[in-house]
Amino acid sequence: MSKKLISRRSLLGATATGGAIAAFAGPWKHNRVWAAGSDKPIKIGITSDASGQYANSGASDRRGMMMAIDEANEAGGVLGRKIEFVHLDTETTPATGSRVAERMISREECGFLIGAVSSGVANAISQVAQKYGVIYLNTNSSSPSESGANCHRVKFVWDGNGTNFAKAAVKNAIATYGKNWLLLTNDYVWGHDTAAATRKLLEEYGGTVTEEILVPQGTRDFSAALLKIQQSGPDVVSAAVGGDDQKAMRQQVAQLGMGEKPAWINSQQDWPDVYGLPLDNLFGVFGTTWYYKLDLPGVADFVKKYQERYPDTQMRVPGNVFYNGYMATRELLAAIERAGSTNNIAIIKQLEGHKMPAAERMQHDDAWIDPVTHQVQQTIYLATANSGTQDADDMFKIVNHSSPDAVLDSDAAAACKLESYEDTPTFDA
Amino acid sequence: MMAVLPHILNGLTLGLLFALIALGFTLIVGVMEVINLAHGSLFALGAYFALTVLGGDWLGATAAAEWWTSLPLASRYIAALIFGPILAAGAGLLLEMCLRPTYGKAPLYGLLLTFGAALVIEEAIRLVWGTGEQHLMLPRSIDGAVFVGGLIYSKYKFFAAAFSAAAIVAVWLFLERTPYGAIIKAGSHDSEMVRALGYDLSRLRLLVFGFGASLAGLAGVVMVPIWGLRPHVGIDVVIPAFLIIVVGGIGSFWGAVVAAIMVGLAVGLTGAYAGAWATMSMYILLILVVGFRSRGLLGRKSALEN
Repeated sequence: MSKKLISRRSLLGATATGGAIAAFAGPWKHNRVWAAGSDKPIKIGITSDASGQYANSGASDRRGMMMAIDEANEAGGVLGRKIEFVHLDTETTPATGSRVAERMISREECGFLIGAVSSGVANAISQVAQKYGVIYLNTNSSSPSESGANCHRVKFVWDGNGTNFAKAAVKNAIATYGKNWLLLTNDYVWGHDTAAATRKLLEEYGGTVTEEILVPQGTRDFSAALLKIQQSGPDVVSAAVGGDDQKAMRQQVAQLGMGEKPAWINSQQDWPDVYGLPLDNLFGVFGTTWYYKLDLPGVADFVKKYQERYPDTQMRVPGNVFYNGYMATRELLAAIERAGSTNNIAIIKQLEGHKMPAAERMQHDDAWIDPVTHQVQQTIYLATANSGTQDADDMFKIVNHSSPDAVLDSDAAAACKLESYEDTPTFDA
Repeated sequence: MMAVLPHILNGLTLGLLFALIALGFTLIVGVMEVINLAHGSLFALGAYFALTVLGGDWLGATAAAEWWTSLPLASRYIAALIFGPILAAGAGLLLEMCLRPTYGKAPLYGLLLTFGAALVIEEAIRLVWGTGEQHLMLPRSIDGAVFVGGLIYSKYKFFAAAFSAAAIVAVWLFLERTPYGAIIKAGSHDSEMVRALGYDLSRLRLLVFGFGASLAGLAGVVMVPIWGLRPHVGIDVVIPAFLIIVVGGIGSFWGAVVAAIMVGLAVGLTGAYAGAWATMSMYILLILVVGFRSRGLLGRKSALEN
């Protein structure tokens, strides 16, 4: 049996190595300073779905982010530093979202996370991000709980939420179509939250929920639910069904000729969920934050820029998901410039309460980031099928728009309890 | 009671469609003892091939393409219904050739290979047909709605259910009344004995896999006007197909049909009265059946039970 003595050299080496590890890994959780003042690239983690229910929306979201990053790099970067990104597929699965976020922060060394379409995934990512103090922009998920009960100091929500969209739609629809509503709800967090918001508004405006049908995520055949709707005979069906499920539902409703009666309200609908569907599949009214045919300055240039950058993309024009991804990324990079640093707390303070002029956002009203909920308060549009067009891309016409004040979600503000700055780990990316 | 009848009818039609999906799967498992995780991808391939046949893109910008697209939709649809499964069978034959080195080894090898094949096929679909939603156009005669007992039903769904029923009977007749069917059935009982009797086992496996793949492709062509056509549509197929053959009894033809109808009824009825449980109902059915009868409804008795 050999006996080894620890030499002074090896002891010194071990101490130095241990010290180096402690310097980098030890304070990670509470005070991570690795790149301040360096010309190290700023690394962004794109946490969008490339597979699963929201794969198409995830791709659109990602394109928006990448265009904003490319533009920033072409303009010389941010704080003189190049922007780099890494993308991992969150698979429309919360567990994968957590895993991806953890990996992006601890192994890929991403200083910021952006992306999510499913609220379940967004919530999972944001919990990991809060643990490390990494700023996370939830670009396209719109459950009211994301800026309500599940809000976090590091998380900012860029899409309108279910309550915003319901507020824009419910009152008008009761007057136009009738009081008896049936709720068709995707059985997960976004569906439930949106249905709850609709239910509350209906009670407020004198409507009635006659029935609620829950449809599991991944439902391909809606015939049982549609038969039930026929039997129930409501004035309005308020559908909170998203992604591929919505595509299947629309095709089946259209096939049965049920698109006109009862009236259909889709409080929120993403462009990739319906792009390319035949016109008779586009029944009903839905809410959105943007449309590429808005008659506002800058929209046409934005569309042109998209088409030049993505000439081979199946979606020939940008939609609301692309828009949200682009705007969120652009505003994050602008906030870093304004902060003059990549310190997360300094950037959070730049984002909180930040006002975004209507002209810059290509919307009808000025928008702002609510400092209480971290949600972007913005114009909400109601749209319906554009029956009088030959242009395959010009699928919708905007029916009306509501100002951010008119659709404000006061419940989210009451439910949201942001962590204090002190409870949020700080670092420089 | 009257209120339930439309949902029972809906469940039955759904069950017949599920049966069509599960048939090829059960045939391959029965004869080859390979759980073909690429079954859903072959289902998707069949539908995409049908889409191409229907649209005439394969002819390019030629006079032939112009002639093809000028034909009535019904005749192009029939061509798609024939060639979609045939082309899917071609893909199945290739897959079987890839599977050959795994024969005689642990089942995990075949399982992994077919899983890999599923991923490859899905990516290939994305490359060839794009990532977006596609539509299989339907002739007017089977499109639209029909009134039954005061409620509106999808005309196409009735057509698809009737077509599935006819396909099930045709496959059964093939297995029962033709020499090839007899060999396949014998192979599913004891493939080594079939070889001992002088039949070429390689050819039998090729035949069965090709036939199973064509049934997957056929199910794809029939189902996608209801489910929608997107590259990962195959994923939606594998789980119900697997579940159905386990409930029915692995390798049992009529077991698969009965289980599919039970699953259809479970999904249809829960979808109407307890929507959130519609998907879960399949699994509950599986637990109930396997809990009481581990070999499934009509499965053969295992050697372990003797």
